[in-house]
Amino acid sequence: MTLELDKRTYALVIGFCLAFIIGLATTSGPRARFEQATAGLSEAERGALPSLPGLSVANAVWALGSEDAVKKMLRSELDRLPETEGRARARVLVRFGIMDSNPDGQAAVFFQACVADPSLCERAPLIAAAERETRARLVEPGRHLPLYLMAGHP
Amino acid sequence: MTRARSLGPVWPYLLAVALGYLLGSIALPLLSLAQGSTSTPLARVGFALRENPSASTAAWAVLDADLSVVRSSIAAPQREVFDLVVAVRGLDNGGNSDWVRAQKICDSLSWTRCDKDALGQLKDLSRP
Repeated sequence: MTLELDKRTYALVIGFCLAFIIGLATTSGPRARFEQATAGLSEAERGALPSLPGLSVANAVWALGSEDAVKKMLRSELDRLPETEGRARARVLVRFGIMDSNPDGQAAVFFQACVADPSLCERAPLIAAAERETRARLVEPGRHLPLYLMAGHP
Repeated sequence: MTRARSLGPVWPYLLAVALGYLLGSIALPLLSLAQGSTSTPLARVGFALRENPSASTAAWAVLDADLSVVRSSIAAPQREVFDLVVAVRGLDNGGNSDWVRAQKICDSLSWTRCDKDALGQLKDLSRP
């Protein structure tokens, strides 16, 4: 009777252990692969990964979205991005400036972009940044440099 | 009665196997959470969007589950745009773009350009 009970206990333990190992292997492989793949990234790059899906959606809306969709997206991006994300906020503001039809409004928005990212305070880098964004836009409006940057306003 | 009696001795073994598999499956995610790992569904989807993943079937299966988690955290109409990005990047299709589905989603967004050329460019332009 004791021998019978021992056999059953062993079988139970072995069954449990084998199933545990199979369960572990099923989930650990892909997760371990992710950990391995991201190990080469810097701490900042790893920290930025969770924000990339939102950024990807914003880029898609910028590429093909209607004017209304783009403006809504830009507002929500400005709400989402903290002040510490200066470069990302400046990119959003440059896109805003491109979509703004009023030169005075454009001037105000580009000034905010300069505050967020001081490298855009010079005219040449600002124009280069705006040109990059207009190339990434596949539909009108927003495929051309805004008047404020074309006309040589200070 | 006879059948129940014949299955009776099997139940403890089935229970042990099921319990073992369940605990094995959740062991690593729980450990990662306890260690404060950066491997979250949002981070894994972010990484897949950043890279051109060439992964095994099992890894794509994990990404499928992650995509569901991320999708449920995004509000409409951004959710449809996320679906569009997933379709053009082929994240739920083993890395192969699903142009037919992408075009359907794009049409549902009432965007002016939903042609193959525009969607092809979107594949690169949506990369974060």
